[in-house]
Amino acid sequence: MIAFALLTFRELARRKFVLTALIATAVLIALTGWGFSYIAHSRHHGSVPTRMELAVVSANLVILLAYLFSFIVAMLAVFVAAPSLANDIESGVLLPVAARPISRASILGGRTLALGIVVCGYVALASMAEFLVVRAATGYFPPHPALAAGYLSLIALVMLSLATLAASKLPGIAAGIVCVVCFGLAWMGGIAQTLGTYFENDVITHFGTITQLLIPSDAMWRCAAYQLEPLALIERMSGEHVWSGPFFVANPPPAALVVWTLCWIAAIYAAASRSFALRDL
Amino acid sequence: MDSSSALSTRGLSKRFGSVTAVADLTLEISRGEIFGFLGPNGAGKTTSVKMIAGLAAPSGGTGTLLGLPLGDRRARRHLGYLPELFRYQPWLTAYEVLVLHARLAGCSGERKTLNALLERVGLIERRSARVDTFSKGMQQRLGLAVALIGDPQFVLLDEPTSALDPLGRQEVRELLRDLKARSTTVFLNSHLLSEVEQVCDRVAFVTRGRIVAQGTLEEIAGAQRGVRVSAQAGRSPIAQLLQRFGNVHPNGKSVLVEGAGPKSVPALVRALVDDGAEVFAVEPVAATLEQRFFELTGGGGTQ
Repeated sequence: MIAFALLTFRELARRKFVLTALIATAVLIALTGWGFSYIAHSRHHGSVPTRMELAVVSANLVILLAYLFSFIVAMLAVFVAAPSLANDIESGVLLPVAARPISRASILGGRTLALGIVVCGYVALASMAEFLVVRAATGYFPPHPALAAGYLSLIALVMLSLATLAASKLPGIAAGIVCVVCFGLAWMGGIAQTLGTYFENDVITHFGTITQLLIPSDAMWRCAAYQLEPLALIERMSGEHVWSGPFFVANPPPAALVVWTLCWIAAIYAAASRSFALRDL
Repeated sequence: MDSSSALSTRGLSKRFGSVTAVADLTLEISRGEIFGFLGPNGAGKTTSVKMIAGLAAPSGGTGTLLGLPLGDRRARRHLGYLPELFRYQPWLTAYEVLVLHARLAGCSGERKTLNALLERVGLIERRSARVDTFSKGMQQRLGLAVALIGDPQFVLLDEPTSALDPLGRQEVRELLRDLKARSTTVFLNSHLLSEVEQVCDRVAFVTRGRIVAQGTLEEIAGAQRGVRVSAQAGRSPIAQLLQRFGNVHPNGKSVLVEGAGPKSVPALVRALVDDGAEVFAVEPVAATLEQRFFELTGGGGTQ
């Protein structure tokens, strides 16, 4: 398994995946830093924003940015995992490898381990860099950045395990499409749950909840969003009867949801491993 | 199953939905033998090879490789495999590919040994070049080196010369003879009949997923096809005179009496001489592997 993890690290480095992702992210962070700096020094009715006003604007913008980042992370996980496995199967790269005295589980395990480390490392690095840039520009720093990065990493792992399962059965592009559709379904489930709660419609609420449990990427986003909300904002918004949505979450994430998601990732990966072990190459 | 045999299969089959790719594959290959597996494209050869290598699960039947069930990891430790669809990690160098496979095969992978393998397949000068700069032929040479890592007891070669030039093919033939000298068993899947004819001890013909003939080259290709007669006709035409010995096929100044065996030669010559013919030559004609291929596979080309 270690041999395949090292091989995957080497592939990602030599094919310039990591370098490209880091450069593109650095450009993105630099641009957002410039944007936050512009907000901090802008004038409204002739005066610069107060510290509180800047914190409220920055807090909301950080959540919006993190929301976009969660999409990037999910797609990155899908398009790193699905095509590489499916292409190695289709192109015949795996034939001489799988004929060696090793288990298929070690091939998939090593590859997934390396991809998981790289994607989670990327999430930690990019999100911390963004938070630090925002602090440098505005003085605002989200309350629980490490927990937020942790939940964003769980989104990546949800999509990584799903992409691995899809790629163990389907061609690369088809696997990618399946994952993108599932991610969209989870997002719709989250919206449905919000609307169902607002309109007090149990059917729509349950549909949303079940969808979010079946594909817990959106549920993990809401956990991440909660960790980025300043306490003052939560108290003020909750007092105004505002329901949770993609950009505001009133309640802390239930521990059972996190446990469910971790079990979900493990179960989907186990299914992928079994599917890969049983398939003809 | 006989553990002294290198490969033994009984009724191995593979179905993809309603399509039967391989049906009732029964083979017995002894250790140290070079076995040719012949058939047209789509006959089920590569699927059979994949089942032997443990890469595809049989739909039916059983088999052993080196005395262990097909797919068993202990048997795969002694297996060298060159797939038909060969492709190696393009971002690795030739030497790194060998290091990877040496590690996976559980052997030491000493620099000296791996360099010797690259030397053997003519790639030592390109040991540090990335695989994505290699031609198809060079990748196939690399695949041969990969298949020989760890001195395998059973080497499974699926179309090993399909991308090689005549010189490369000659080198592969020498390599196969070298393997035979070391008592390595070789399963050679090919449709290059001349190649098989030169190196194989035994062959099997497969078509539409079924084995239609199996045996030594003499048993299959060396069977008497007929007798070629060169003679000046006497009172009767030669063709008419020789009809009772077999099917007569005139060919220029000679005729081929198909079906006539060595035992019928004295009677055939006597008939000609009695009729006043002048006999210049009477020679037995053996079928070539290619002729047998066309006969056994229903005239299907090898493409």
